[in-house]
Amino acid sequence: MTALVVLFLTGALAALGGLWASPRAVKQGVRLGLLLALGLLLFAPSSSAFLGLFVLDPLARAIGFVAVLAALFASLVGCRYLEKTGIRAFEYHALLAFSAMGALAMAATPNLAVILVGLELLSLPLYALAALRYDEKSEEAALKYFLLGAVAAALYFYGLVLYFGATGSFAVGAVGEGPLFAAGMILLLAGLFFKAAMIPFGWWAPDVYQGAPTPVTLYMAAGVKAAAFAALLRVVVGAGYGGVWVAVLAPAVLLTVVYGNLAALAQSEAKRLLAYSSIAHAGYLALALFGPEPAPALGYYLLAYALSTGLAFAVLAQLDEGEGVAFGAVQGLIRRSPMLAGMLLIALLSLAGMPPLVGFWGKYLVFVEAARAGQYALLVIALLTAAVAAYYYLRLAAFAFFLPPEREGVLEVRPLASFTMGLVAFFILALGFFPQAVYGFFAGP
Amino acid sequence: MILWMLLLPFLAGLVGLFLPGLARGLGLVATLASGLIALAALFTPGVAFYVERPLFEPAGVYFAAGLDGASAALALTTSLAVFLALLAVKEVPGRMLALGLLMTAGLLGIFASLDLVLFYFFYEATLIPSLLLLGVYGGANRVRALLKFALFTLAGSLLMLAAILAARYAGGAESFLLRDLLAARVEGPVAVLAFLAFTLAFMVKTPLFPLHVWLPDFHAENHPSGFADVMGTLYKVGVYGFFRFAIPLFPAAFAAVQPYLLLFAAVTALGAAWIAYAQKDYKRLLAYGALSHMGVAALGLFSGTAIGAVGAIFLLAASALYTGGLFLFAGWLYARFGTLELAPTHGLAKHAPALAAFGLFLFLAMVGLPGLAGFPGEFLSALGAWQASPFFTLVAFAAVIAAAAYALTAYQRLFHGPPGKAVADLSGGEWVYATLATLAVAFLGVCPKLLSGPIHEAARAFVAAIGGGK
Repeated sequence: MTALVVLFLTGALAALGGLWASPRAVKQGVRLGLLLALGLLLFAPSSSAFLGLFVLDPLARAIGFVAVLAALFASLVGCRYLEKTGIRAFEYHALLAFSAMGALAMAATPNLAVILVGLELLSLPLYALAALRYDEKSEEAALKYFLLGAVAAALYFYGLVLYFGATGSFAVGAVGEGPLFAAGMILLLAGLFFKAAMIPFGWWAPDVYQGAPTPVTLYMAAGVKAAAFAALLRVVVGAGYGGVWVAVLAPAVLLTVVYGNLAALAQSEAKRLLAYSSIAHAGYLALALFGPEPAPALGYYLLAYALSTGLAFAVLAQLDEGEGVAFGAVQGLIRRSPMLAGMLLIALLSLAGMPPLVGFWGKYLVFVEAARAGQYALLVIALLTAAVAAYYYLRLAAFAFFLPPEREGVLEVRPLASFTMGLVAFFILALGFFPQAVYGFFAGP
Repeated sequence: MILWMLLLPFLAGLVGLFLPGLARGLGLVATLASGLIALAALFTPGVAFYVERPLFEPAGVYFAAGLDGASAALALTTSLAVFLALLAVKEVPGRMLALGLLMTAGLLGIFASLDLVLFYFFYEATLIPSLLLLGVYGGANRVRALLKFALFTLAGSLLMLAAILAARYAGGAESFLLRDLLAARVEGPVAVLAFLAFTLAFMVKTPLFPLHVWLPDFHAENHPSGFADVMGTLYKVGVYGFFRFAIPLFPAAFAAVQPYLLLFAAVTALGAAWIAYAQKDYKRLLAYGALSHMGVAALGLFSGTAIGAVGAIFLLAASALYTGGLFLFAGWLYARFGTLELAPTHGLAKHAPALAAFGLFLFLAMVGLPGLAGFPGEFLSALGAWQASPFFTLVAFAAVIAAAAYALTAYQRLFHGPPGKAVADLSGGEWVYATLATLAVAFLGVCPKLLSGPIHEAARAFVAAIGGGK
């Protein structure tokens, strides 16, 4: 509750303050606000507010934490990119704060209507963020994101209406039956699949991730997915463990992991590659939904994914001159900046789920959930596609390490960005060796 | 103790990555300490230095590690091989040695793990430095070799992860601790599928025909000094994986597919030895020669007898010394001739008699000359295998003829023919290595009991677990 208010005040003050205060002050203010919200989420007891419409349970706390963390990360490592491309800083930071607030609202409600409000609150700033670079690519990405996002919201809204018609309630887990209820549930899921970038509704992700400014993509991949999965989890779990929704979910998971990973193979642009990989990761995340205790696994995976993909995008943001990151730009990174190359390697290996990095434990936990539910066929397919994934991650790493650079010159990274990325890399490694350290945060008391 | 055995090489490697100049010195100290700990474990009956701490308790994962006879023997020869290799190589980048030390930590972890997920953790983690060794310091076609290696290994090991999860959740064990899993074994078709998944993973890492194809490129493209090849040789842990986990966990499934496993092992042993004979490049020759030995070791293990298992683990442990030594020998030749081809090394004994003699000595150990380290393992493997299938044993040990052929070719190359380029004989550091390696290989040959005694104790437990009394 307090965290939500802090995020709102941060966004509002930054938006208003941008009119008279220096962009620098706004930037620092937003960072402080996000940091404060992060601390509040870390130590807040479980609580409930607004007549039970806002419930800060362990799941909400964990997912909200991941989303705010992603926003803070995007804020801390984005400066170089913003200056290179002439993006106005205060808008960027203010919009990030607003979007993070939407993510928290979406994660922390058991009410389907409030989820929609959170979804919009999350998405509207993102449409603007995607367009911030003011060039054709950026505007195309924003428009695509906006139009498809509107369709997703419409689907969700339609589903909500049917759900209400069938059950007489907006609460998740309301009892209902018959075709009306089924249609409502399917539409709700479809809307959320959109935001989570799951096939058959994730087609937008590659174009949008590629076109949007790179730090914004960082937040999209790490933060938005977390919020979407929190809502997805509440809807699916509300409908009951092992229920009929497995029948809807299983083919979607299958398509998502297979399509995401196979399409990623053919990419030659790093942001686009990571976009397809984010589709694939949505599939792995959804595996947890089958299990009897999905919340800790999902939260843990989302944290691991946010750290790893965040770090990868953060490295790309340091390379990006505003026209994207073709593999050629990554080539020979080790010569231009050994630190960035090392970070990229850690991030990619963690995304590939290799021990001793945190990505391994994330994968492990969701696979355990699938195994506990007896979904071995899905598990085997997911693991086989994970081998494919390792191939394209390693290929990108090979470009960075084993080929001569295309561009000359040493890459200068700002101290604050270096420090942030170093910290994230440290956590990726440390949590790989001590996975239990943060598990309690996700499992709740 | 066990923690220190793993931590010291890891820390040495980590420091070495940032301060490459220190890598060799720290590595020597760390591997010496690990070796001594392993040696102490070798003389301790039962599982030495057992540690069990929660690593990820809610997920049923424990840091459970200890060294029984087989693990201790392998940990000992691994530490020793790396220690010697650090002495042997010169003018190599310090970071390369550091990566090797990180790999050593992972390998020791593989041998010490008594929790299935912990085993997987080390098994996969070791892959990262091994890929970097190949990718950063490898030859011209390294990226191709690297992707081949990574793809084979990962496809195998990811399937193994599914099997690991099935081993617990389909059987209802309380955790991934080996003893819990053995107490609640999985039965029926799931067990067969899980065993096959393990089999694929370990066949890649043994390696066994037809999943060996990554191996020749891997060795051919690795750094010419041979250091990375030593590490790669040590990483062939498939036989150990079968011995420790796959077969004891799924004995019924193993019994069902045993004839096919024996077939693959025999084909590997024979085929690889013949292919080795046809090679014109030292590293490829050694790659195939070592592959043939892994086939023999696998044959011994798949016999399901205690004596065969002792032979297999002994062979695995001893080959770390002489196969690694041969790769370093090839590295020394490369430093002198600028090529790894066999052809220009004719008449080497004329200019560099000690170097040639050392090479020949290792070749003879490799083909299993009695009195050297290669013999006890091969002999015991054959004894065990004979009990399971005389036919496959005959097939596999036809490889001995082929092995003699390639070893004699090497002898002929090194000692006869007109003297070629005048090259330097062994230098100071190389003398140290050659002496120590010769001593170690000869010692294990005349006194195999040091390793085979403790291994036998572990092998009895293995046979008891699969329900045999042989």
